[in-house]
Amino acid sequence: MRGSEILINVLRDEGVDVVFGYPGGAMLPLYDDLRSSDVRHVLVRHEQCAAHMADGFARVLKRPGVCMATSGAGATNLVTGIATAFLDSSPVIALTGQVPTGNIGNDAFQEADIFSLMIPITKHNFRIMNPANLSNDLRSAFSIAASGRYGPVQVDLPRDILTCDISSPIEPRKVSTNGMREDITELPQAIQLLESAERPLILVGGGAMWSGCGQDVITLAEMIASPVATTLMGKSTVPENHPLVLGMVGMHGRRVANYALEECDALLAVGTRFSDRMIGDPSSCRTRVIHIDIDTGELGKNVRPTVALSGDAGLVIRAISSSIHARRNDGKWTERMGILKKECACNLDLGDNPIKPQKVIYELSRLLPDDAIVTTEVGQCQMFAAHFFECRGKRQFITPGGLGTMGFGLPAAIGAKVAAPQRSVVDVAGDGSLLMVCQELATAVEEDIPVFVCLLNNGRLGMIKQLQNMFYGGRMTAMDLGSSPDFVKLAEAFGVRAARVKDPKDLESVIEEGMASDRPFLADIWIDREEEVLPVTLRTESGTQVIAGNCAWKGVC
Amino acid sequence: MEVISMIVNDEFGVMQRVMGEFTRKKINVETIVVGKCEIVGKARIVLSVKERRQAEQAVERLERLQDVVQVEIVDETRHEGYALVANSFGKARLIGSLEEVGGLIDTTKPDRFIKTVNAL
Repeated sequence: MRGSEILINVLRDEGVDVVFGYPGGAMLPLYDDLRSSDVRHVLVRHEQCAAHMADGFARVLKRPGVCMATSGAGATNLVTGIATAFLDSSPVIALTGQVPTGNIGNDAFQEADIFSLMIPITKHNFRIMNPANLSNDLRSAFSIAASGRYGPVQVDLPRDILTCDISSPIEPRKVSTNGMREDITELPQAIQLLESAERPLILVGGGAMWSGCGQDVITLAEMIASPVATTLMGKSTVPENHPLVLGMVGMHGRRVANYALEECDALLAVGTRFSDRMIGDPSSCRTRVIHIDIDTGELGKNVRPTVALSGDAGLVIRAISSSIHARRNDGKWTERMGILKKECACNLDLGDNPIKPQKVIYELSRLLPDDAIVTTEVGQCQMFAAHFFECRGKRQFITPGGLGTMGFGLPAAIGAKVAAPQRSVVDVAGDGSLLMVCQELATAVEEDIPVFVCLLNNGRLGMIKQLQNMFYGGRMTAMDLGSSPDFVKLAEAFGVRAARVKDPKDLESVIEEGMASDRPFLADIWIDREEEVLPVTLRTESGTQVIAGNCAWKGVC
Repeated sequence: MEVISMIVNDEFGVMQRVMGEFTRKKINVETIVVGKCEIVGKARIVLSVKERRQAEQAVERLERLQDVVQVEIVDETRHEGYALVANSFGKARLIGSLEEVGGLIDTTKPDRFIKTVNAL
């Protein structure tokens, strides 16, 4: 059997029915065999987006998404997408073409040392130099990507490995490789700490999202009457309309959630790495921390935990729930958090003209179905969505939290829609990010993937403008994008349906049209150019500073 | 001086992965010895860094690597000094405790030398 046939057989056996890719000379043997297989190939318009699509796909189904690119420039174009998946622990498999084994190292046509380039941004990678290793290494790639802490794995495929005849049988499916080390010996201390806490807080991050343990978290929270906050990556793990759920913490988080983080006397951190955008200066975290993570390397990396438990988030949470007795609880803490949560719920049904971005997010929260998937680009659009969008029911929020990759949202939405064709998928985009990847509108049209791009268009790099305004004395530079392009015409040129919205009264009908559309749809919403994402919370060692601006917070703290 | 010992797959690219983790954590490797070991297809790396915290950070990261089979911080009692020294009279090999080897180099002041730490 040819190497490429073996590869496709392994893909089929691993349950892969779709790959996102872009061909090139070194990969043509594989494409030749892909033609006659039943694996769907989504032809992207730029390789970076193939990686983002596989990432979006993986985040919805919580199993590996596969992207492929040819040797040299094709493979280097994957780098941004793979780095994004790495920082957000997403199981993406990247198959890259490579020049024939005999030419490697000779600066052959379309040769890049992609193996070295991928090392720091993958969980592991392979370069197949011996045909006998092909099926075994491919199997390992899948089991490494989706075991322990998930992460991307790259497999470099020299052209001659794809074409040579391989007689060795296909390896059986691997269960798991070196996986994680589970260690919950400190469980009694964790339980004692939670039971004695007067003001507990459960903080869920991306690890809880990947584990899919939202319901377990809610069960525990109700048992011990603990409020729950999320990180950016943990958003949508727990339903935000639940009375105990306070929303997102962090620099752009909700004030109620940040106050809870500040005031709690026991913090149960579930699958979060205490990133700088979340915790600020780690020394500002002075509370007692119980840290659960599947990756032991995260325990104590940024914040020193009082108690550390390693293992799958859901598994550990269930272990806590099954042994814990009710907390000593006079009800004051949850009552106070309940009041603060109400005070944090400001009116977003704003009739201003030009349209306020908060109003757009408000309408999306109101109109999207309870199983909608929202992806975001990066910048103000992302933070407006993260702060104001209400993830209730089975809604999923997909955002490039770690790498902050502009141009992620549209391809991730396409990948998500391929994974879940029956669900509404909306990309909350900004004009800067969207223009980086707008060529993928062609992919959406040609492959018949009806995603809805909800463009918050302010003709500028809003987050840059906001940062320059706040921290650079208002000296604006390199942030004005002007009025080019006309996004409605751009969308229509790609064959995408489009509508422009300048009046808040039209939002409802356009959003409903976008959701109902059986073709890709773009709503070009002209928003207030001056609006900033507020409040901004800065946590430093010496204390917490809140830039409130027009944040309508009424509470006293 | 802290010494880390590990067993790794004996393949191309493994050193790059291992050293990459030190680069990421801004840790300078003071000395390094790599070679074949008692397990077929594996190699042993023994390297040293200045501080305990650096060694711990490195081990946390090295444990995540698929090509690292086993990694540990080696107890001080197992550290061995090893040096090649040369001057106008010729070459010599110095083996002993870190203090002994260091002391010999300090007193004899060879023209050229290389000093490393090994451990089992």
